[in-house]
Amino acid sequence: MNKALVVAKWEYLEKVKSKAFLIGLFITPMIMVGMGVLPGLLANKEDESTKTIGVVDASGELFEPLSKRMEKYRLSNGNPNYLLQPVAVGRNVDVATAATEADTKVQRDDIEGYIILGANAFKDSIVEYRSKAAGDFRLINRLESNLKNILSERKFAEKGLDPKLVNELRAPLDVKTVRVSKSGEKEETDFLRTFFSAYIYLMMLFFLIITSGQLLVRSVIEEKANRIVEVLVSSCTSTELMAGKVLGLSALGFTQIGFWALIGFASTAKFGTSFFPPTSQLLLMLVYFVLGYLFYSAIFIALGSPVTTEQEAQQINGYLIMFLVLPIALVLPVMQHPNAAWVKILTFIPLLTPTFMALRIPIQIPTIFEIVTTVLILLLSTYFMMIAAGRIFRIAILATGKRPSIGELWRWVVQP
Amino acid sequence: MTKQSHNFMLKVANLRKDFATIRAVDGVSFEVQRGQIFGLIGRNGAGKTTTIRMVLNILQPDIGEITYDGKKFTGEIRNIVGYLPEERGLYKKSKLLDTILYFAQLRGMDAAKATSEAERWLKRSELISYKDKKVEELSKGNQQKVQFITSIIHDPQLVVLDEPFAGLDPVNQILFKDILLEMKQRNKAIIFSTHQMDQAEKLSDDICLINHGRVVLNGSVRDVKKRYGNNSVHLEYEGDGSFLRSLSGVKNAMMYENSAELQLSDGFNVQQLLPQIISKLELRKFELREPSLQSIFIQTVGEKDAEA
Repeated sequence: MNKALVVAKWEYLEKVKSKAFLIGLFITPMIMVGMGVLPGLLANKEDESTKTIGVVDASGELFEPLSKRMEKYRLSNGNPNYLLQPVAVGRNVDVATAATEADTKVQRDDIEGYIILGANAFKDSIVEYRSKAAGDFRLINRLESNLKNILSERKFAEKGLDPKLVNELRAPLDVKTVRVSKSGEKEETDFLRTFFSAYIYLMMLFFLIITSGQLLVRSVIEEKANRIVEVLVSSCTSTELMAGKVLGLSALGFTQIGFWALIGFASTAKFGTSFFPPTSQLLLMLVYFVLGYLFYSAIFIALGSPVTTEQEAQQINGYLIMFLVLPIALVLPVMQHPNAAWVKILTFIPLLTPTFMALRIPIQIPTIFEIVTTVLILLLSTYFMMIAAGRIFRIAILATGKRPSIGELWRWVVQP
Repeated sequence: MTKQSHNFMLKVANLRKDFATIRAVDGVSFEVQRGQIFGLIGRNGAGKTTTIRMVLNILQPDIGEITYDGKKFTGEIRNIVGYLPEERGLYKKSKLLDTILYFAQLRGMDAAKATSEAERWLKRSELISYKDKKVEELSKGNQQKVQFITSIIHDPQLVVLDEPFAGLDPVNQILFKDILLEMKQRNKAIIFSTHQMDQAEKLSDDICLINHGRVVLNGSVRDVKKRYGNNSVHLEYEGDGSFLRSLSGVKNAMMYENSAELQLSDGFNVQQLLPQIISKLELRKFELREPSLQSIFIQTVGEKDAEA
């Protein structure tokens, strides 16, 4: 067997069997899902018992229609969700006194909270909701939308308009973005969908590079510390060693990403919408993904292999993450102006090419010229970066002690 | 001359290696035959390890040539050399058998052969019951045995061992020595480096003493000793032997606990020495023979240098 493959197999199997990897494999998506879904689930949790809401209505006209409208919300057992209790209703109530009374009720937990409708509620459209916990968004939303409806219906009625007619006229509006492609066909695209597919693409690239990059640096540090590296480079060439590590750890990264992607598919399948662009675009994006990954890996090797301690590794990691975060920070502006001159120019920078292309392709396919040149530039830069990384790796794996300066690294690259 | 030129497994000629401002190795030449244990001796930092690294193609010499059976280094040489580095280390979290198989396959062995060989060596080293344990669960000595196995499992033609006995207990030292002697019987070339002269003396056929990057002594142990003549007195005694150093006719003295090696001045008759000693010490041994490698080493590199 080719020795690079022996190294690759070793790196892959040893890491894949490790507890840390298995934990990461399951814990990371759990944390992600937990952070994304749990708060939503908790916030959307249905109430379990009827909530009593106090009403201070100085207009004297809103309590009745509001409590009628709030009756339509039901608990799962069929009981009403809300019970509106008048605290003080009438034209002449003293809002301040009524509020004090309601406050004590809230303190005694007689009522969940109370709503103050001022005498001029019709005119200033200002209402207040007071409670111990001001975070029940659903209740506030419901109160707000129902009050709005009552108020606007009243206002229309004052102008002599039939509320039914108004409702008919107020048809809901949904803005769709339509992409006009070259051939003149119209395709519907969803901004959110493009945005999320680009984000998923970037996060996958990000995780892949970070995972395999960190593992690479860590394995180099271990082999340097215990001098195993001497045995390794007397058994195979440093190129074979590097190739093997890149291969094995990339496979590991892809295993992780693949597993997460499966979880992702499984959990989004029920929504019926695929986050992914059409196959032809996907293939093109894949080309940029693989090239981009290799390019970043080479940078990781070049900067990571001279490292001798964990602390240094973390420092280097920080810099590398910055390289990765930059394109992510540019996601929104690029999506808003996919055809802007600055976007087109920056696309040619190899460090940004994969991201920019991933953002531009689903919105509008770049010209053949752009695709061919960017792929060529990326291919060449990856090739040269790999050679440079190999030269640095060759010397760096045997070096211990002080981290070399940029100048020294450069000398390692240019010397034959 | 008993050596036949075609029998040289390794020829090293005029090696030089500089690191920044330091010349680590300066014109080192030596030859190692098959069926020979070759001791590379010298103080710490003398240039032994750098020389070894060049022999193993880990480092490239600035000047000089290394040939293996008359041929230059090629990728195939990697599969017929074995190496035990001075600093000991293995993958801590990996299993014993897996680790050995990895290194064996890196030396070009196929998996099946590597597995059967690994099991044979593990049995011989009494480690077979640990084969699925992680390396970190083993004692230091056992880890060293594992590393030793990884350096010889592929039955290399040339084995290079950097300070193989450092930190080994006596039982394992004997195990290592037995294995090395067997390999010698089977016509392999073995290089080992050490700064412990008694070991070099007991085990090597030929030695090469390196000091400050240069070869200062080279040849078979017997020849080297002959060169230094037959005028060393080896003593074992009870009592305070500190006066031995200042006796007339003693050029050099190496004192140990209850034993000493005295090197006599040229032309001094040993018969004159005995009466001076016998009255002051209870002698258990008085022997005139060639000097030990230790004393030659000290004479050659200088007392001050040797102790450093």
